[in-house]
Amino acid sequence: MAFEFKLPDVGEGLHEGRLVEWLVRAGDPIAVDQPFARVETDKAIVELPSPVSGSVQTLHFKPGDVIAVGQTMITFGDGGATAAALTAPVSGKSAVDAGKSPVSEMVAAVLSPGSAPPVMAAFPGRAVATPHTRSLARKLGVDLARVTPSGKGGRITDEDVISASAPSNQASAPPQPPPAPVAIPAASARPAPPPSPGVVAGMAGVGEEIEEVPLTHLRKVIAQAMSHSKHTSAHVTHVDEADVSELVAWYKKAKQRIEADGRTKFTILPIFMKAAVTALKAHPFLNAVFDEPNGKILLKKFYHLGIAVDTPEGLMVPVVKHVDRKDMVALAGELVDLAGRARERRVTLDELRGGTFTITNVGAIGGVFATPVIHQPEVAILGMHAIKDRPAVVDGQIVIRKMMYVSLSFDHRIVDGLEAARFMTDFVELIQNPDLLMMRLL
Amino acid sequence: MPRQVIFEGRIENLSILDKDGQVDKKLEPKLTRDQLTGMYRLMVMMRKFDEKALNLQRQGRIGTYGSLRGQEAAQAGIAFNLTKTDWVVPSFREHGVMMALGLPMHLIYAYWKGDERGNIVPPDLRILPASVPVGSQLVHAAGLGMAMRLKDEPSVVVGFAGDGATSEGDFHEALNFAGVFNARTVFFIQNNQWAISVPRKRQTAAESIAQKALAYGIPGIQVDGNDVLAVYAASKAAVEHARSGKGASLIEAVTYRMGDHTTADDQKRYRDPDDIAYWLARDPIDRFRKYLVSKKMWTDDNDAALAAEMTAMVEDEVKKLESMPAPTPVEFFDHMYETLPWNLREQREAFAQGDRS
Amino acid sequence: MSARTTDKTQKLTLVQAVTDALQCAMREDPSIIVLGEDVGLNGGVFRATDGLFKEFGADRVIDTPLAENGIVGSAIGLAIGGFRPVAEIQFTGFVYPAVNQIFAHAARYRNRTRGRYHVPLVVRMPYGGGIHAPEHHSESYEALMVNTPGLQVVIPSTPYDAKGLLISAIQNNDPVIFMEPKKIYRSFREDVPEGVYHVPLGKANVVKEGRDVTVVSYGAMMRPSLEAQEFLARENISVEVIDLRSLVPLDIDTLIASVTKTGRLVVVHEAPRSCGFGAELTALVNDKALVHLLAPVERVTGYDTIFPYAILEHHYLPDRERVVAGIRKTLDF
Repeated sequence: MAFEFKLPDVGEGLHEGRLVEWLVRAGDPIAVDQPFARVETDKAIVELPSPVSGSVQTLHFKPGDVIAVGQTMITFGDGGATAAALTAPVSGKSAVDAGKSPVSEMVAAVLSPGSAPPVMAAFPGRAVATPHTRSLARKLGVDLARVTPSGKGGRITDEDVISASAPSNQASAPPQPPPAPVAIPAASARPAPPPSPGVVAGMAGVGEEIEEVPLTHLRKVIAQAMSHSKHTSAHVTHVDEADVSELVAWYKKAKQRIEADGRTKFTILPIFMKAAVTALKAHPFLNAVFDEPNGKILLKKFYHLGIAVDTPEGLMVPVVKHVDRKDMVALAGELVDLAGRARERRVTLDELRGGTFTITNVGAIGGVFATPVIHQPEVAILGMHAIKDRPAVVDGQIVIRKMMYVSLSFDHRIVDGLEAARFMTDFVELIQNPDLLMMRLL
Repeated sequence: MPRQVIFEGRIENLSILDKDGQVDKKLEPKLTRDQLTGMYRLMVMMRKFDEKALNLQRQGRIGTYGSLRGQEAAQAGIAFNLTKTDWVVPSFREHGVMMALGLPMHLIYAYWKGDERGNIVPPDLRILPASVPVGSQLVHAAGLGMAMRLKDEPSVVVGFAGDGATSEGDFHEALNFAGVFNARTVFFIQNNQWAISVPRKRQTAAESIAQKALAYGIPGIQVDGNDVLAVYAASKAAVEHARSGKGASLIEAVTYRMGDHTTADDQKRYRDPDDIAYWLARDPIDRFRKYLVSKKMWTDDNDAALAAEMTAMVEDEVKKLESMPAPTPVEFFDHMYETLPWNLREQREAFAQGDRS
Repeated sequence: MSARTTDKTQKLTLVQAVTDALQCAMREDPSIIVLGEDVGLNGGVFRATDGLFKEFGADRVIDTPLAENGIVGSAIGLAIGGFRPVAEIQFTGFVYPAVNQIFAHAARYRNRTRGRYHVPLVVRMPYGGGIHAPEHHSESYEALMVNTPGLQVVIPSTPYDAKGLLISAIQNNDPVIFMEPKKIYRSFREDVPEGVYHVPLGKANVVKEGRDVTVVSYGAMMRPSLEAQEFLARENISVEVIDLRSLVPLDIDTLIASVTKTGRLVVVHEAPRSCGFGAELTALVNDKALVHLLAPVERVTGYDTIFPYAILEHHYLPDRERVVAGIRKTLDF
């Protein structure tokens, strides 16, 4: 077994070393602890001894080259016996990294738009209130933007929130003063007054009629990502309808053949993925990223489709890379694997990154159609709904057909309605006419 | 008599073997063949351990390491006088003393790999962990020596430091406390001539470090630190002095740090190659081998067999090191206090659950 | 909370309670020794070790050379060697030379040896101002100690607590920095039980229950805090006053329960404000009770200055007026 020797940090906190000379040549035998190279660092010239015995297979650098710490500099042959013990280097972060659960990072990476969440400057017109008052308003369902402040510096007080929440408090009615507290505090001390009847009704339920569910980390991340997306993109949803009777028949026939081996599982989704990519190639602005700070739109020439997967703890979006380069059977296999591992939280961070467009299957449970939220920093997301038998008009006759709604949410900042409509028309035509899809597949 | 001498001091230097292994018959300690060859084995073991440590560091398998090369006689000479109930209070270069008393080598390697578990000394040993703040451990040695005296335990405490540490206040406070309280402590200074790049003459204008003992009212002696017989003899006297309740003393072992300060250092920047050649000719192991050979106690064949044995032992210890299971990161919370307060429990819990906020 | 109290009590000052604690503990456990400057025949410059030398002798009440680093360093050696040393630093302002031993060694032994060695050591030090002492005699370094993982930091404010906390500290198996408020060493007496009893480390004392605002303090600053409570009670302002008693471990539950109830917190300490313990308490309330706050946390503290010489010190130290002003600030927010 070959053993790759990576340049270690031979000083304290060094990052690179310059190869002074090799003390061995390729093909030479090598013994444990036999020096094989001299390397100059910021601190000294050091001789590096071999950790294994065997032979020298490859010298990866020439004298004078600068080698980064961690780069393979030499490969030894027949060093397997000793090499096994050497997999865990002493320096660096390996021990901590090993113990690190990547789940939260993976989720954060896939659902948030990249680096740090944007720092909010003071929102113009945002209500001024203490955290306590905000929390009270949330419990009572009071929108602080609609409350008239009576506190110092335009601050909304607890009393303002309580008044605003009272059922009798219509816009025309004057705010009700809170009832006098039983123990009269000093004028300067304003502890929260006893709640009004409305508050009691609103709060007494916690523990009895209201169950408090703590947020999981995944849920927090999803919440952040969703509201970020809604604050960022100008969402518009275009809905269309497709008659997929032919496609379903075509799919069923193919499925029988493909699944005949008893191992492969073939779903319909890969067909939609292929159709989407085919349409995306014709409408590149939907496979793009809006780089607002730099005043650019980046059109992606690769097709990595995010596929929204429901997991017991919430939504995850693993990415199928290079959809245009894979056949539908391969895609089906990849989907089964990715979705399964997403549900078990075993997808890697890389498998959650880098999507250029997303497909979400929103019709599994029911409903007519839904408006999906764009997966930042992409610019569009395609919602596929349930295929149902519905009456349709074909050649002037009402007939029962396999019908399906498709919805496309797109970022109106960079995609106009017309462009979105063209994409959808194209896509619908592709899934209505499998023959056409075949002809246009690249 | 308005002006009279109230104190006169005198410091001896003890040397028994010269650089070519010729012994001073009058001073030669009475040691058996087994004891003498045992000392030699110890020194060879230290050197093999040390050579391997440097290789492990260059291979990225342990971290920064401080070599003891050249100081084997000093460490073997004192260690040979100690038992498991004696206390070793090391600085950070006393790997030789530690292994001589039975500390498994792989634990010493583990310490230098950056693993606190290397400091979990077996329960039958009284070795404190390496102390990085220079000289600060000497005060612990004084306190431990006070403890042994207060409990009237016949255990001796040896506090180790280098020549640089004698410039720290801790050295002086430790000697002072040990003197005042009749502590059962031997202060063993390995004067290896260099505190990283600063030579011994920049640490003190005094002729010797040993003479500093006199100011604190305790005996002091300078020995040839590369002469294991001289170190042994001086240490024997100092250890017996402490064990019998007579109090503390100071030994200055004059030796030489053959290597860099640590693997993060390059001694070529500040040392004269001639200097190294001078000390190479005074290598403690070569010198002692010549002595043993002249006494017909040792042969080249013995030497080859010993080298092979020690290499195998060191390799075995490296295997033990590398088969230690990785520590779980939460361990760094677990030993902050006997009982963890809420904040550490909370941080530990969050850490264990992967919450990196 | 008492382990073995007799029914008998005696009226003691805080410093007498410290002596009493040492005496009771030393009678029970021969491994407890006291060491420091002037602690022997002289009984300590504040007489905190008065009479101990006579009873226990020079081997257990040890007058050391004048070297703080040596005192704490040798105490670490004694602790590892089987004793429970109680080291005295004459004034907190003199602790700097010993900081290397406290921070680099006492605090770390257990962790760095993964439990193989530990240091059952108490370092007593009178702290704080208000006694018209010379320079370097009035400092409050509790935040330095709190910021050093591995130490416990205990500060009593009453004779009863001083004795019970010191006995708990001595019997604890990890290092404890025991800071004694010398301004109130002799300012009042209270009934202190005879014999050994414990006040546990990490349990705060709600000295006064209240409804409108929580005042948290410790040591000598409990005095102005309680005076402020009394003063404002006349205006029908209900102040809850909490004596932390130990900063590490900290009784977080009592703190958060109180702040959740009152919605307002004023922290009072005489140490400088920036990165003082009040900053930590503010951060903790931010972590655990932010939504319950009706006003920002207020800190009434010493200033970020060198502690002034004697004739100006009363301008530096928080007093009743400053605590009252701090409370009003949170009420008027």
